[in-house]
Amino acid sequence: MAGTIDSGAPVPAGLPGRAEFRQLGYGVALVALVACLPLLPFANSYLIGIVVRALIFIALGQAWNVIAGIGGQLSLGHGVFFGLGAYGTGLLFNDFGITPWVGAWLAAALAGAVAVVIGAITFRLRGIYFALATVVISLAFEKLARFYFALTGGDTGLAVNFRGTAPAVMQWREPEAFLWISLAVVLAFYAVTRWLLRGNFGLALQAVRDDEEAATSAGVNVYRTKLLALLLSAAMTALAGTLHLQFYLSIDPGTAFGLSQAIQIQLPALIGGLGTAGGPIIGGAIMILLSEGTNVASSRLGLDGVDVLAYGIVLLLIVLKAPVGILGYIKSKRLQRSGRAAPAGGGD
Amino acid sequence: MLQALLSGILVGGVYGLFSMGFSIAFGVMRIVNFAHGELVMIGMFAAFFAYSAAGVDPLVAIPLAFVVVAALSAVLYLLVYRRFVGRATLQQLLAAIAVALILQTSATLIFGPSAHAVRSNWGSQYLLIGPIFLSYAQLAAFAISVACVLTVEAVLRKTSWGKAIRAVADDPEAAQLVGLNSQVINITAFACSGALAGIAGAVLVSYYPVSPHVGFLLMPIALIATVLGGLGSIGGAFVGGIICGVIQQMTSVLWTSALQDVPLYGVLLLLLAFRPYGLFGRVSAH
Repeated sequence: MAGTIDSGAPVPAGLPGRAEFRQLGYGVALVALVACLPLLPFANSYLIGIVVRALIFIALGQAWNVIAGIGGQLSLGHGVFFGLGAYGTGLLFNDFGITPWVGAWLAAALAGAVAVVIGAITFRLRGIYFALATVVISLAFEKLARFYFALTGGDTGLAVNFRGTAPAVMQWREPEAFLWISLAVVLAFYAVTRWLLRGNFGLALQAVRDDEEAATSAGVNVYRTKLLALLLSAAMTALAGTLHLQFYLSIDPGTAFGLSQAIQIQLPALIGGLGTAGGPIIGGAIMILLSEGTNVASSRLGLDGVDVLAYGIVLLLIVLKAPVGILGYIKSKRLQRSGRAAPAGGGD
Repeated sequence: MLQALLSGILVGGVYGLFSMGFSIAFGVMRIVNFAHGELVMIGMFAAFFAYSAAGVDPLVAIPLAFVVVAALSAVLYLLVYRRFVGRATLQQLLAAIAVALILQTSATLIFGPSAHAVRSNWGSQYLLIGPIFLSYAQLAAFAISVACVLTVEAVLRKTSWGKAIRAVADDPEAAQLVGLNSQVINITAFACSGALAGIAGAVLVSYYPVSPHVGFLLMPIALIATVLGGLGSIGGAFVGGIICGVIQQMTSVLWTSALQDVPLYGVLLLLLAFRPYGLFGRVSAH
């Protein structure tokens, strides 16, 4: 997998270990495999569509991981930014003819601005109180989106004016292009996450996560650091929202701002490993496998919604049994096995 | 206006009832039970089931909802919440969210996603007092809620179990020192928290249709009522619930019923923003 066992500890520059090279090799191989998927003989639109879904899920998880994993602020309101990205792009295109290639950035800027306002109110709170405040904000957005149907299309939602295959407005009949775009987004988000784990801003953010008082006394402006991280996370979430909209060509208040959406955004990072670069990638892949598997099972049984049940069970098991996620779990097992010997694979 | 105030108080009585349950779980164990709305929903379904299977009136089915939801809460406590007692942590919140998802989707799988309503012959009738009309179902719901709340208050004040609960809610550290923080207290308190949700569910279903998604509408109300009422006083949540009901009804009259919850969310945010640390009574926001 592209995921590295990344503790966030800075590794001396210029001295990548053997394990690092091996992980890089796996990562490049995986990216190449996904990028060349359409060329494979067994590939079809259905399979590619599943991979696109997985990549969008991963991108959302990566975006949430910035504020929740690296910044330690458990936002339950990321549906707001996701919805702003999707609705923003869609409305700009439908009503003003602005191509999503531009609209995505405008919507991301809007989400960032809203994030600063939300952060300014909620970052006076810590921990669970912050989380609960973000819950009601996303609930309020859902209610408002349902009510102002002249703008949002109300309960039925917004459908993008479809023009067939039109690259100028980010529309294709076949999913290949979305595969490459979302792969590029996931790679870019991965780079952002790596930069946050190693760079100055990210280190300040991690200091805030670990101990706000200590970070303050070390000269970190806690409030500003959290605000900037939320802004970044919100803009990334909005970009993933644009991808979602262009791929599905519609968005509705429940999908955008609903509580279950906000919960699903958290799952890739929580399952894979909170605050790691590889966690959301592994977690997102597992979630899609889970969702496809349960969907096949549920369509046989004629039931609907089994995937959400499976998410709930997995989330509960992760929280109770492996609060550090799969990557953290592997890392701790590895450290146990290697005992006192120097840990392999870039642990701290 | 007076109409809205009165219906708000009537609706708020039921909110107050399940909010008290939420408040007990938070007060005694520092558990923010995100799945509390789902417990109400299961109480609603239990009463609805009794109605659709045997034609029993929801209000007669209160004992059934009481037992079912109290038992379920005890099981949930032993399986999940037991590990998080005393610490309102993010892990605990995530576990409760998972429980909420599991209960909600299970209900969807069993009962289907659509809403079900009880049609009793008296529930749809109204009492007219001059220009004011009040639904009998809501009047009955309010009366039962008040009776339950008074009972709970009496139990909390008079029995040794209730005194232990109040002591723990008041000052967990001191209660721990005198050996009050026992598993038995916790599990019975959590079952009691669920029982109140169950009763509220049975009462609510007599005039409000039940669907698996109703929990996500009710949980924020319990949270807001608890914050409004202030912690440490479990009865405060009941008053908070009534305030929530009045705000909702006033919004319906002055603005639109589709957005009746939005001012509630605003109230919670304002409270959180301006009383960031002293919010839940003496509990610090760490």
